[in-house]
Amino acid sequence: MKRRLGCLALSGIMAASLLSGCGAESKAADVASAGGDYSKELILDVYDDFANYNGEQTGWFAKVIKDKFNIKLNIIAPNVAGGGDTLYQTRTAAGDLGDLILVGTTNGRLDDLIDSGLVIDMSDYLKGKEVLDTYKDAIDAANEGHDGIYAMPYSVSTDPATEPGESTEPTFGPYVRWDYYAELGYPEVKDLDGLLDMLEKMQKLAREKEGKDDIYAMSFFKDWDGNMMNNAKQPCCMYGYDELGFVLSKFDGSEDISILDEKSPYLDVLRLFYEANKRGLVDPDSTTQNFDIMSSKYSEGKILFCPWPWASKSYFNTVDNVAEGKGYEMIPIKDMKIFSYGAHPLGDTNRAIAIGSQAEDPQRIADFIEWLYTPEGVECNEQGNGSAGPKGLTWDLDDEGKPYLTEFGKKALPSNSVDVPDEWGGGSWKDGVSALNFQCVNLSDPDADAGGAKYDYTTWDSYLADAETPLQRDWSEHMDGARTTMEYLKKNDMLGVAPGSAYTTPAEDSNISTIRAQVKTTIVDGSWKMIFAKSDAEFENYKKEMIKTAKGLGFDDCLKIDMQNAKDQTEARKEAAELGK
Amino acid sequence: MSTKKVTGFKYFLWILPFMVLVFLFSYFPLHGWIYAFYDYKPPRPLSKCEFVGLHWFEMLFSNETQVSQLIQVMKNTFAMSILGIATSILPLFFAIFLNEIKNKKFRTFVQTFTTLPNFISWVLVFSVAFALFSSGGMVNYVLMNLGILKEPVKFLDSDSYTYLKMVLWSMWKGLGWGSIIYLSSIAGIDQELYEAASIDGAGRFQKMRYITIPELMPTFFVMLMMAVSNFLNNGMDQYYVFQNSFNKEHIQVLDLYVYNIGMTGSSYSLATAISMLKSVISVALLTVCNLVSKGVRGETII
Repeated sequence: MKRRLGCLALSGIMAASLLSGCGAESKAADVASAGGDYSKELILDVYDDFANYNGEQTGWFAKVIKDKFNIKLNIIAPNVAGGGDTLYQTRTAAGDLGDLILVGTTNGRLDDLIDSGLVIDMSDYLKGKEVLDTYKDAIDAANEGHDGIYAMPYSVSTDPATEPGESTEPTFGPYVRWDYYAELGYPEVKDLDGLLDMLEKMQKLAREKEGKDDIYAMSFFKDWDGNMMNNAKQPCCMYGYDELGFVLSKFDGSEDISILDEKSPYLDVLRLFYEANKRGLVDPDSTTQNFDIMSSKYSEGKILFCPWPWASKSYFNTVDNVAEGKGYEMIPIKDMKIFSYGAHPLGDTNRAIAIGSQAEDPQRIADFIEWLYTPEGVECNEQGNGSAGPKGLTWDLDDEGKPYLTEFGKKALPSNSVDVPDEWGGGSWKDGVSALNFQCVNLSDPDADAGGAKYDYTTWDSYLADAETPLQRDWSEHMDGARTTMEYLKKNDMLGVAPGSAYTTPAEDSNISTIRAQVKTTIVDGSWKMIFAKSDAEFENYKKEMIKTAKGLGFDDCLKIDMQNAKDQTEARKEAAELGK
Repeated sequence: MSTKKVTGFKYFLWILPFMVLVFLFSYFPLHGWIYAFYDYKPPRPLSKCEFVGLHWFEMLFSNETQVSQLIQVMKNTFAMSILGIATSILPLFFAIFLNEIKNKKFRTFVQTFTTLPNFISWVLVFSVAFALFSSGGMVNYVLMNLGILKEPVKFLDSDSYTYLKMVLWSMWKGLGWGSIIYLSSIAGIDQELYEAASIDGAGRFQKMRYITIPELMPTFFVMLMMAVSNFLNNGMDQYYVFQNSFNKEHIQVLDLYVYNIGMTGSSYSLATAISMLKSVISVALLTVCNLVSKGVRGETII
């Protein structure tokens, strides 16, 4: 009998434990440690929409923040996890997005987070801190419509809105292997068709020279496809357009065009890519590879054209390669007008940083956030975006108070696998770069710690003097003596600056979101099929089918909203430009 | 209370934990169906979301393109399920032939070797497929170096023979595993039947034809009925890992469609509405199947 009772009790316990497993929620105690008591180590769950790394922050940046705040960052990156918004939605539905939250605010997301109590008002924690004075207007802009400080701004700049937000390199641009371009005799490129002809010759030359068959002019990947195929959007940006939903909007607001319009530059680019594929200029791996595989090809210099400086130059133009005269540089296309994101005097309100409502020690997190806006914070946190890193390790001041890169800095920057000294945290420099990928302050801003030079070390006089490699000199000679790409573009009026406004797209009706999601896939899938079509007839067929399906699913309903948003954005940009004057 | 009742109550307590489990994992989640009637947008709680009634159900059939997409998806689902059911006879024959192998070591080897793929997740299967069949993969590499091919063949990123490819992959993965249940059934067949057949002069194939197969039929039909009730649930992980822009038209089965528009397209409500419809159809199919079985074989499973 005893034994039976034991069994009964056991089954009872089993049932009870099953039930109690659900619903029990551990609410973190509110242990504010005002005054900076950092004796207990704090591990922060960081939800980061922009991170391209998932897991614990390691290396030198981890050491810096561990020493300063005794915190560790556990980064949760939807970019790595994949699956679109799934991670965001499941985490928010569970009521805990993270302790530290770096989030895209478009489509009314920030409002949602505030309204559902997932982020806290940090006014009390920031009281008396310098950042409140320095960036008052930007903080107000980030929290417009809300009482309190829920979000801290992104990419605040002291430049007026009409100045480009980029410092030495544009965001988009036709970058090619300059050494081959030189060997071809610096041919003039009139337009995109001309670019294709030039690339065909370049591919032939490169293959002959290297004796390899796997060198291609172009390579694509699918990871970043959204409203449209990401790769096909890039050339549009070289002609002053940027996407807003299904609309391509020109930098000065002079034109808003549907991507499926017969005259749309997007469809033109698809045709161009189709043409390229027909001529054998497109890497056949394109259809299956991801960004990592593609970028490794750029590190080897095997893909000749790249629409971004940061995927080509940053990977391939290492000290060794440049010394051999190899490297990616921008070439001028006569009719281009590259889209440039203007500086944001009020911060870029499309992104924000916030503190989660379940955070254990909000005071310390607020201290950490404040630090990110200080010179030291910018130098360290934004190294991955182009600042110099911790003072004393990668750079220092000379006798005249001007910044220069140390020997270590020259080896390690921009992000090379160089061993970091143990007292700075050890490990490889590259792995230690901050994974947050969030620029609190624009890199074109002056760094008070560096005697007022810009945060972006590639603008320093000492750097430009050192950077005089044969490759750079050759490039400069053929580019009217320009020292940097941006200098050339500005001089030749090839830059279309969209003033940095405080515009974010408003929340969307979920009916439209659902339609949009289906239309997006239709357009992305159709675009890929078009590029790899086997004949002109097939190309036209896919195009017709794509447009018909997209319209049938409700493309026009989405377009109406996007057009309105584009108009509002243009208005906001004009306003921002006026404000700067 | 009589002793009988007390014993009955005790027996009831014995199964209680399992009833709780069934309730928790099979019935409790059904309360989530309520999301289908709301315009649910996380992070807002349901109480702050709008009640929209049957809006999402109507949306599925709201316009021609929507309907034609759904029809294509159903075609894919039916095609793959039918192919799956048609090939479900193969494990049975595999088991019979395997059983005829007299060398025990070889038999165990074959059985282990064919069962193993079942334990490899689809993600890993895809990475194997990628390594072998992508444009830079082994097969293309070898064929091109031998001079047989000039251009790599696009095995993965083309829409030709999508159904067939998918069926072959799932057969490769499931053949050995599916035969286990038949092997155990064969072991349970009365040996006297075989002895009697031998005395009557039956050969090997005749024994298979007149004893083994008929004896395995009940098992086969139970498996078949379960497969039919799962007609619409033909899994999504396989299709999810193999899908791309080129083969989506034919690879998108119902579960994958729900995932694609519900999860990545952030419409939980619509996805819930579709899966509700799916459950209803599944129950209907099972009932029909059961009725047919009752009429034809005089046996039911529920």
